[in-house]
Amino acid sequence: MGDYRFHTPDGVSDLLPDDCLTKRGLEHRLRGVFASNGYQEIETPGIEFYDVYAGGSFVAQENLYKLSDQEGRILSLRYDGTVPVARLAATLFKDVEPPIRLSYLENMYRFRESGGGRQREFSQAGVELLGISSPQADAEVIALAIASALEIGLTDLQISIGQAEFFRGLMEEWGIAAEDAAEISRHIDQKDTVALEKAADRFGLSIEAKETLLMIPALFGAYETLDAFEKRVKSPRAIAALQNVREILEILDDYGYMKYMTVDLGMLRSLDYYTGMIFKGFTYEIGFPVISGGRYDKVISAFGRDMAAVGFSLSVHLCMSALRRQGKEFLHTHVDTVIGYSREPGMRKMALSMAESLRNEGLIVLVDCEGMDEETLNHFTEKKSIEQMVFLNSSSCDCEEEETCQI
Amino acid sequence: MSDMITIALSKGRLADQALDLLEASGYDCSAAREKSRRLILEDEKAGLRFIMAKPADVPTYVEYGAADIGVVGKDTLLEEGRQLYEVIDLEFGACQMCVCGPVSLKGKLDQIPNKRVASKYPNITRSYFEGTKRESVEIIKLNGSVELAPLIGLAEVIVDIVESGRTLRENGLDVLEVIADISARVIVNRVSMKMKAQSILPMLDALRAQLAKQKEQKCREEAAST
Repeated sequence: MGDYRFHTPDGVSDLLPDDCLTKRGLEHRLRGVFASNGYQEIETPGIEFYDVYAGGSFVAQENLYKLSDQEGRILSLRYDGTVPVARLAATLFKDVEPPIRLSYLENMYRFRESGGGRQREFSQAGVELLGISSPQADAEVIALAIASALEIGLTDLQISIGQAEFFRGLMEEWGIAAEDAAEISRHIDQKDTVALEKAADRFGLSIEAKETLLMIPALFGAYETLDAFEKRVKSPRAIAALQNVREILEILDDYGYMKYMTVDLGMLRSLDYYTGMIFKGFTYEIGFPVISGGRYDKVISAFGRDMAAVGFSLSVHLCMSALRRQGKEFLHTHVDTVIGYSREPGMRKMALSMAESLRNEGLIVLVDCEGMDEETLNHFTEKKSIEQMVFLNSSSCDCEEEETCQI
Repeated sequence: MSDMITIALSKGRLADQALDLLEASGYDCSAAREKSRRLILEDEKAGLRFIMAKPADVPTYVEYGAADIGVVGKDTLLEEGRQLYEVIDLEFGACQMCVCGPVSLKGKLDQIPNKRVASKYPNITRSYFEGTKRESVEIIKLNGSVELAPLIGLAEVIVDIVESGRTLRENGLDVLEVIADISARVIVNRVSMKMKAQSILPMLDALRAQLAKQKEQKCREEAAST
C-alpha cells in the first residue's frame, strides 16, 4: 500500500507556532475564567475502558476510537469530558460532599467526524457542576459559557436554550409511544415540518396538538415563545419545563446576559442524554455550534451514584476557526532580541548574563550558537524580522550594553 | 458582519425551478441567471450569493455553513445523511425511491437470502435493508444505468429513483417496494438559521406563501377545466 511517513491521519492536524501560541492564549484565558468561578481543573486519562462509554450507552460504538490492552480488554480514547467526570463522581469522589465544581481542557477523539470544522482530535474546554439541581445552577453554567466565549473574543454570540422535559411532557400528554416519539423528535430537530405533519396525522393527533407540534420547530424568541406554549399545553411536566426555562432566563437577566439568549424548544438531539435544559452557542462564520451543554442527571446514575449534573463544553478548535474568519486578533510568534558575541574571552559569559536579565524583563531573547560574526548576525536579524540585535566584542561591549539596557 | 445569504443550488433543472420560485417570491435572482461559467454568482444589492454545485455536494456546503441555504432533492439528503434543517418541501422534481427488479420477483423479495443490490445510493440501500427490513445484503455501488445490473446478473435487485417507470418497464423490470417519496427540499444550516434569522426567516415565509399561492391557482385551474 502507500507510504504514510509524510502524512497525518484523517481529522488530526499539526499546530504550527503562530496557531499554537494563539491557542495557548485562548486556553490560558479559559482556564482563568473557570478557576475564578471556583471550577477546579482535573485531568482524566486519554485512554478509558470501553465500558465507561459503552456501559451507559451514551455514545454509539462507531464513534469511539478503540484499541485493546494486553489482557484483551477493549479500551477507548477519551471521547468527551463528561462521562469520565461521571465515573470520577461515582468512584474517587464518592465521599466528597456536593456540590462539586470541576473543569477540564483536553483533547477529545471522535471517529467518523472529520472535514470542514470537524476534527477527529480536537480540544474541548468545559465544566461540570455536580450535585445541584436548580435553575440557579443551570443559569450559572450558561453564564459561565457566555463569559468564556466573551473572554476569548467571541462577542457575536447567540445562545439557544431548550428543555428536554418539555418534549417528553407533550408526548406523555398526547399518549405517544417511545418509538414514535423518537421519530417525532428527529423531525423536530431537523425542522422537517413536512415529515412532522405526516407523522402527526399518522399518530392521530388532534388539530390543536398538531398545531402545537408544528410550533416547536418554528418558534424561537425569548419569553414570548414560552408564553405561546404555556397557553397551549396541559401536561404538568411540560409546564414545569417551560417554567424552568423562564426561571433560568430571569437569572441570566440578572447576570446581564439576556441579550445573548433565545428560546428554541426544538433542539432535541441527544435527547436520551439530557434530562432538563439544553443549550447551544452559535457565532458567525462557523457552521457548527461552538458551545454545547445542558443538564444530564442520569449520566452519573449510570455509574451507580444518584447525582444531578449540569455542564457545557466549548470547542477550542471551532472557536479558533470562528475568530480567524471574523478577523479577530491572532497572535504571532516573534523574537525581541538576538545576542551574538565575538570569540574574545569573557564575551560569551557577558552575552549569557545579558540574555538572562533581558528575559527577566519579559523579552524573548535568543543567543547565537553558530558563532556568527557581526555582519552575519545582522543579516540573520533582518531575515528573521527580529527587532533588536546586540553584538558583543571587547571594543564595543560597554556602549552596546548601555544601549540594550534602555530598551 | 456580512448578512449576505449564500444559496447553494443543484446544477440543472432543479436550479432553474428554484430560481423561478425565488423570483416569484420577490427575490431578484438575475445574478444567478447569468449564462457564465462562474461558480459563484453574487448580487450585492439583493444581498444574495449563489453557488452552483453538484447535487450531492449541496448538503455538504450547507452543513459546513459554506452556504446558508440549499435546494436539493430528498434523495440526496437521504443518501448524504447530514445534520441540517430541512424546512420546506418544494414539491417539484417529485418521484420515488424504490427497490426494483424483475417482475417475477414481485412478492418474493424476502425469500432471497443475502441478495445483491445494485445502486447509486449505497447509504439509502443500507439503511433500508439493514435498518428498516433488518436484513443483510451485499451492496454493489454503480454510477449510472443501474437497470443493467439485474439484466446481466450482477445483482438480483436495484435501488433507484423511479419517475415514470418507463425505463424499468422497457427492460422487463418493475417496482417491488417503495422506500420513500422524493421531491426538492429547502435546507438551512443550523447556525445560519439562528445567526441570520432576520433575513432567512422572511425568505422562508415568502417561499411558503408563494408555494401556497401556486397550489391554490393550480387547484382553481383544475376545477375550471373540469
